Amino acid sequence: MSWTNVKLIFLRELRDQLRDRRTMFTIVVLPILLYPLLGMCFLQVQQFLQEHPSRVRIVGADHLPAAPALLAGGWFAEGLASERQHLLVLELAEDDADETALLRSAAQRDIRAGLCDLVLVFPSDFAARLAEFHRALPSATLPSTSPRAKLPSPAAIPQPLILLDSASEKSKIARSRVEEVLRRWREQMVEDNLRERHVPVSATRPFEFKPDDVADDSSKAAAVWSKILPFIVMIWALTGAFYPAVDLCAGEKERGTLETLLSSPAQRGEIVWGKLLTVMTFSMATALLNLAITTGMATFIIGRLGNMAAAGVQIRQIGVPPLAALVWLVLALPPVSALFSALSLAVAAFARSSKEGQYYLMPLLMVSLPLMLLPMLPQTELDLGFSLIPICGLILLLRTLIEGQFLEALRYSLPVIGVTAVCCLLAIRWAIDQFNNESVLFRESERLDLGLWIKHLVRDRGDTPTVGEAALCGVLLLVIRFFSNFMIPTPHNWSQFATTVLVMQVALVATPACLMAIILTRRPLQALSLGRPSFLITLPAAVLLAACLHPMFAWLAEAIRFVYPLNPSIAQQLEPIARLTTTQSLWQVILIIALTPAICEEIAFRGFILSGLRRMGHKWGAIVLTSVIFGLAHGLLQQSLSACAVGIIIGYVVVKTGSLWPGVLFHFTHNSLSVLQGRVTPELHDSQPLLRFLFSPGCDDGSLFYSPQATLVCGLVGLVVLWWLKSLPYDRSAEERLQEALDHQTPLPAKSIA
Amino acid sequence: MIHVRDLTKSYADLRRGQFIALAGISLDALPGQIYGLLGPNGAGKTSALRILSTVLRPTSGKATINGYDVLTQPALVRHQIGFVSTNTAVYDRMTAWEMVEYFGRLYGLAPELLRERMVRIFDRLSMVEIRDVLGSKMSTGMKQKVSIARALVHDPPVLIFDEATAGLDVLVARALLKTVAQLRDQGKCVIFSTHIMREAERLCDRIAILHRGHMLAEGRLADLQSRHGEHDLEELFFRLISEHDGETERQRDRGTDAPISLSLHPSVSPSGSWPLAPGP
Repeated sequence: MSWTNVKLIFLRELRDQLRDRRTMFTIVVLPILLYPLLGMCFLQVQQFLQEHPSRVRIVGADHLPAAPALLAGGWFAEGLASERQHLLVLELAEDDADETALLRSAAQRDIRAGLCDLVLVFPSDFAARLAEFHRALPSATLPSTSPRAKLPSPAAIPQPLILLDSASEKSKIARSRVEEVLRRWREQMVEDNLRERHVPVSATRPFEFKPDDVADDSSKAAAVWSKILPFIVMIWALTGAFYPAVDLCAGEKERGTLETLLSSPAQRGEIVWGKLLTVMTFSMATALLNLAITTGMATFIIGRLGNMAAAGVQIRQIGVPPLAALVWLVLALPPVSALFSALSLAVAAFARSSKEGQYYLMPLLMVSLPLMLLPMLPQTELDLGFSLIPICGLILLLRTLIEGQFLEALRYSLPVIGVTAVCCLLAIRWAIDQFNNESVLFRESERLDLGLWIKHLVRDRGDTPTVGEAALCGVLLLVIRFFSNFMIPTPHNWSQFATTVLVMQVALVATPACLMAIILTRRPLQALSLGRPSFLITLPAAVLLAACLHPMFAWLAEAIRFVYPLNPSIAQQLEPIARLTTTQSLWQVILIIALTPAICEEIAFRGFILSGLRRMGHKWGAIVLTSVIFGLAHGLLQQSLSACAVGIIIGYVVVKTGSLWPGVLFHFTHNSLSVLQGRVTPELHDSQPLLRFLFSPGCDDGSLFYSPQATLVCGLVGLVVLWWLKSLPYDRSAEERLQEALDHQTPLPAKSIA
Repeated sequence: MIHVRDLTKSYADLRRGQFIALAGISLDALPGQIYGLLGPNGAGKTSALRILSTVLRPTSGKATINGYDVLTQPALVRHQIGFVSTNTAVYDRMTAWEMVEYFGRLYGLAPELLRERMVRIFDRLSMVEIRDVLGSKMSTGMKQKVSIARALVHDPPVLIFDEATAGLDVLVARALLKTVAQLRDQGKCVIFSTHIMREAERLCDRIAILHRGHMLAEGRLADLQSRHGEHDLEELFFRLISEHDGETERQRDRGTDAPISLSLHPSVSPSGSWPLAPGP
């Protein structure tokens, strides 16, 4: 790749965008004008923001005790309602307080009709029960063992009924206001009871707690801004990337200049990088500008707003965002912008016109927004799980850094940076692939016709699935897996477990892939790679490879569990299943745990999906992508990571041998060895020299695990087998052959044209 | 200079299935020659030229330009060609000078050499007065001049004009044709597609008549006229097209319209020559 060409394209695109009045207006002028205008409007609207009164209907006011009084002169008695007493409007009703069903239906009807917000019902025996409770209270002069000390049962304690509609915000507000009044009234009764019995009121409060906030102002500011600023940066980085991306892709198609550029010496990768840097520049500029203006405006406005009761936070204390926060955000901006820019470019490449390009913003937002909003949830904190979620992990890392928890941030910075880098690279790769795809670049207008589309799928099917069909199969399997988790009951015995595994593997994994192969391809056997391997010796070689690599995969699984410890509740759920696999007869366990998944999962993943994804032209890209889908289908993070690693090796075996069968054998051997490993008892271990070499007691509970020397020896043999596989010739797909030919173009002598 | 053998191109079409845009055309164009591709709209001219300019990949067949393969060596092919497309393809927010300079730099020309060439080309194409005019302010004729200047700036041995006179007024079209003739006289190999018979008659040394992806006739104009006993190119063109349509119609009625065997995916052998065999 020529970086001179990338720089040329970048500078041209940058100049082009800077000369575009629409882009400059949206990115620079609009925020500068918009935020002050919005702030002004907010201040104007603020005067209309006032609390509305709650209308409370009281049924059974006649049944209230005389003292202490709840009501006086049609209102709550003095001292019960707060200074905002005018917020409660009372209406005394004369309904029968004991007809609960009627009162409920009337309350439902009237609250919905807006006639009242809440109904407070005092049963007819309220005062009598209250008096009885009062009488049952022990006197201060009586010994505590006196029979009078027995209080009424909870059911006998008087219970006023609050009828509310939780679907109505007004009703919920009325409830909180009325409950506040009732609490005060109850406290008055308690005080009266204590006074009567000559017990000091302070006896009910043996201590008072006094919160003392030790956080300094800068920490408080950091805590608030750390939740707001990363979101602002993310959302504007995406928005700022999208519109230039649409102009640089769809706009270029509209003007007809794309064809000219594609016939120039600039390679597709150089074109994409040049455009990507331009989009990144605008994404970063937009995010920074909006960040500066929103924080400035927010600080300015909040300083004048006073207290914000709903949040319970003294807004004045928020103050100006800490400088460190801005520094961290600026440092995080390039990878964020790169990710969004590459995604926007890839998506915008689909559009035939700028207008069509605008429609694609919504799907991009729908995918990105949940990832941006996830860190806002109160339970979400930076840990290994969240650090592996793109965007979400980065926002949490930024939050931790802004809050000054540097050690915590350092701990998770590697996975966050790794995931962000991988996502960036994948997005850039996707964008470059889009620019290599004729059907994307020269797409013509198509009428939406489901019938035609289905006809096209069947009529124009190829020998192997297309990349889109393979991706669809992968997504379909993941969706099925998601719903099956809820629909299939947890097995309680071996029979249920075996049935569940069989049904899931055959019906929900293999069958969809087989059906897709039959419907969408002309040669289903070829689509599923079910032919004979190029060399039969690869069949035993696959078994040997699986056996040799099993110790390494076992260590990898241990390492993963060390980094991501299994949630105790999940471990508890899995424990009975693990016990079942060690207590049932071996052939049954091998059949269910090893053979069934080896056949079904290989048909779906290394069969249909890998065959289709190989048409991308990148062998390793297809293998890794298939393995990621395979890993995701395992549901549990720890299992997913291990499965992904195993899947890469199986994928390589299938590609190199040109057949699914060595992959099935590898998978079967791998799973069988996992089962057998769990059955090696200490007695068996001590009696067999081979087992003594292979396994050594674990340090914690004395359980047996692969010894380091066995792992090393087996690993070396495994590497030799892999090396041998690498030396074998194999069938490339047409796209892979083309890609290899393109990658091996002899470079033109420098400046030969000049 | 340009060698094309059995070149095919098909597109997946929702309604028609695999739509065959090019059904195995072959041609040879030499330096100092203008090779005319003549055909109505939808004949496959643009597909053929897009393949030669490496914008599209062929479905099967082989095409080389100056010895470089369009499928496996596209980067090298692009240095050998200058491509002027149907639409004038000018950046709205760049001046004529900036745009030609941009492409010249993409071709890796040294600044002094680039400047010298640009001055010469701007002078030759009478573009000096539009040097600082933005693309959005240019007339169609001006845009086409810029496109030609852009295609000539790296002095390529092969020039590809895809219906370059479409939408131009008579004066500009005439000037363009004159430029194309001059390029031929300089020893360039020019491929020129058009559906205007008079242009082809006046300009082209060899002509290929394309219709619905098929090459109906190919050769020197005089040879074509004598071979088919028709001296008027327009009449010859209509006759060949109606004969082809009639034959297709008859085959369809008989149900013997043998499908053209096409490899839907490019087949490239490990050695780089392709195709080894038609697709399965």
